[in-house]
Amino acid sequence: MTRLEFWQGNIACAEGALAAGCRFFGGYPITPSTEVAEHMARRLPKIGGVFVQMEDELASIASVIGASWTGTRSMTATSGPGFSLMMENIGYAIMTETPCVIVNVQRGGPSTGQPTRASQGDMMQCRFGSHGDSSIIAVSPASVQEMYELTAKAFNLADRYRVPTFVMADEIIAHMRERIEVPDTVEIVERRQLEKGALPFAAGEDGVPGFPTFGQGHGVHVTGLTHDERGYPSSTDPGVHDRLVRRLVGKVEEARHEMADYEVTNPDAEVVFVSYGSPARSVKQTVRDMDDERVGSLRLRVVWPFPDFALHEFKNARVFLVPELNLGQIAREAARHTAVPVVPIPELGGELHTPAQLAEIAEGYL
Amino acid sequence: MKLIIDETRCKGCNLCTLVCPYKIFQEGTKPNHKGVVVPVLDRPERCTNCRLQKLYGRVLCGVCQMICPDQAITWVDEDPYSPEKVVVEE
Amino acid sequence: MKDFREWLREDRMPHIYCTGCGNGTVINCTLNAVNQMGWEPENTVFISGIGCSSRAPGYIITDSLHTTHGRAIPFATGVKLCRPDLHVVVFTGDGDLAAIGGNHFIHACRRNIDLTVVCMNNYIYGMTGGQGSPCTPLGAISTTTPYGCDEAPFDLASLATAAGANYVSRWTSYHVKELTRAVKAGLETPGLSFIEAMVQCPTGYGRRNKLRDARLMVQWMRDHSVLMKKWKQMEAEGRPLPEDKFPVGEFVRRHRPAMGVPEE
Repeated sequence: MTRLEFWQGNIACAEGALAAGCRFFGGYPITPSTEVAEHMARRLPKIGGVFVQMEDELASIASVIGASWTGTRSMTATSGPGFSLMMENIGYAIMTETPCVIVNVQRGGPSTGQPTRASQGDMMQCRFGSHGDSSIIAVSPASVQEMYELTAKAFNLADRYRVPTFVMADEIIAHMRERIEVPDTVEIVERRQLEKGALPFAAGEDGVPGFPTFGQGHGVHVTGLTHDERGYPSSTDPGVHDRLVRRLVGKVEEARHEMADYEVTNPDAEVVFVSYGSPARSVKQTVRDMDDERVGSLRLRVVWPFPDFALHEFKNARVFLVPELNLGQIAREAARHTAVPVVPIPELGGELHTPAQLAEIAEGYL
Repeated sequence: MKLIIDETRCKGCNLCTLVCPYKIFQEGTKPNHKGVVVPVLDRPERCTNCRLQKLYGRVLCGVCQMICPDQAITWVDEDPYSPEKVVVEE
Repeated sequence: MKDFREWLREDRMPHIYCTGCGNGTVINCTLNAVNQMGWEPENTVFISGIGCSSRAPGYIITDSLHTTHGRAIPFATGVKLCRPDLHVVVFTGDGDLAAIGGNHFIHACRRNIDLTVVCMNNYIYGMTGGQGSPCTPLGAISTTTPYGCDEAPFDLASLATAAGANYVSRWTSYHVKELTRAVKAGLETPGLSFIEAMVQCPTGYGRRNKLRDARLMVQWMRDHSVLMKKWKQMEAEGRPLPEDKFPVGEFVRRHRPAMGVPEE
C-alpha cells in the first residue's frame, strides 16, 4: 500500500530518512537545505530520535559520525559553503569506515554564490573534496519521489559498505513540490555487526569489516590515523597504509556493479544524453519530444562510483551529450571511460536546460 | 608488599623523587640497557604502602604511582620464600 | 575493578609521551576517578581530538574515538545524545580545545551537555614541536613566538565558567590527589564538567623557558598555583593579584539545565 502526498523535495528527503530508520540528525541552517533540518526537528523527538542544531557544519558532521558509532542511523543536510566545511570530517568518516548520510542540496558556487538557485557544482567535491585517496557513494535524485527513495536507499548503501553516502540533490528538486507515492515501508539493510572477539578492522572478501557498535564491550579504538586491523595507529609503516587505503577504495569501486542504479532509454541510439538530478527531467522531455530511436538517454541514480559499464550498453553511440548544471564535471568522468566523444552541455546560473535547447543540440549530431 | 619500578616503562623523568614524602626514590646514576637512568630505591620498606596496603585493603599514599607519567610504579606481592640472598647490614 | 591500571591497554604500553610529560599523570588521575565511580569499560567511552593529549584514549581499553583536530566535543555530543546511558569523557589539549575547537567548547558549555572534558593544558602545541597556543603565557618563548609571546592567553577555567558549564575546576599535574577528586566530582555532576589540568611539557615548553626538566616544571607549577580560597580572599581584600600566579581549585559547581543526562 502507498499513500499519495504533495510534498516538497526537502520534506520527502527527511521522510525518506525517517522511513529508513534515521534517528539522529545534526545540522546547521543553510539555504536551500534548511527544510530538511526543520522537518527533522519537528519529527524526530516524537519518534524517539534526536535532533540537535550544532554550532556549525564542522560540528554537525562530527556529531553525526559520533552518533553513528552508537549504532544509530544518522544524517545531516547542508548546501554549498556548509558542504565545504564538512570535508575534513568526511575524510574521517571514510578513514574510520563510519556509515552516515550527507544530503547536499547543491546551490550556485563558488563561495556564497547563489543561495537560492540550483547547481550541480559539487559533484566532484563530494568525490574528491577530502584529502587523500578515497571513494564514496553518491546518489542523485531527479524527482520528489526519488528524494524519498534515494535518501532511504543511501542509508542502506552507507551501512552495507560502511562509507559516507551523499544525496546530491539540487535546489530545484529540493524546493519543488510534486506528487509522491509514499510506501508503507522501505527496504532496510542492517549494518553487519562485528563478531565478538574479531579484529575490528579486519575485513572479509568484500572489504567491509563488521561494525563494532559502542557500548557492547568491543573496546574498539577508532582513529583517523592510519591503523592496523586492531584499530591501533600505525602511521609510519608503508605496508599498513597501502593495504588500508587500497581496501577503503576497493570496497566501493569493486562493488560498482552491485550498487549500479541507472535508467536506459533507446539502447540502440546514436546520440545519447547522460544525465542525473534535475537536468534529467529536461532530457526526458527532449527524448519524448524528438521521438527518434537514434536519440537515447542514460540517467544515473547512483553517480559515484561511476557506472562506466553503463556507457558501453550503447553499442551504436556516436556521441554522449552530458547536460549538467556545472561546467562539465560528470562529462569529464564519462570521457575517461569511453572512446566515443563526450560533449558537455553546461548550464550555470540556476536555470534548467530547456528541452528545445537540448533537442537543437542533439539534432546537430544526427 | 614490595615497591617496584618497571624498567620497561620508566623513562627516567625523576618525578617520583620529587613527591615521595620518605624520599625513597633517589636519582639513579647508571643508565640501563635502554639508556634510561632509572631512579633507585632507598630502603623501600619504609613506604606506607609496602607495610599497610594489605592491612587497609587500599592504596594509601600512592602519590608516586599517580604522578608517574609512565605507569611504571607499582606494588607487588612479596614472595615469602624468595631464594634471593639476604644481606645483613653491619 | 580494583586497580585503575587495569583500564590501560597493556599491549600498547609504553605510550608515546616524552620523558616527564604530564599527560601520563592526567591519564592516571582520570582513570583513577573513573575507576572510583565503579563504571565498567563497556559503558564508558573516551573521545579526543588531535594532539599529544588526544592520544590518551588509544591507551585505554574502552571504546574510544580519536577524532579530528578540535572536534572531539561535537563527536562526543553525537555519542552522548544517542546513548545517554554511556559515560563519555573527552580528553583534549589547550590548542585542540581553545584554538581550533574553541567554538565547540563554549557551545558545549552553553548546552551543558553531560560530558566530562579533561583538558591537558601544557601552554603550547606539543605534537607539532612547541608552537605558541592560545594558552601560551605573555612573554613565553615557543617556536612561533621566538621573541616572547605578545598575545594575552585564555583562562580556560574562567571561560568554561562564563559559558555555563555545571562544574569547573583547575589543578596541576603536581596535585594528583586533588586532580583525581576534581575529575571524580566532574564525573558525578550532570551537565558539562570541565577540568583543566595544567601539565608540564619539558620538550616543547620547559627547555625554551628556563625550566630544564620535568621536575623544575612541576615545582614551578606547585609554587605558582594559589588555592582558590586564598585567591578569592586576596581579591576580596583588594590586594593585587600576582601576575605570574594562577588560582587552582573549584571554580564553579551548579545545576543549570543540562542535556543528555541519563534518566534515573
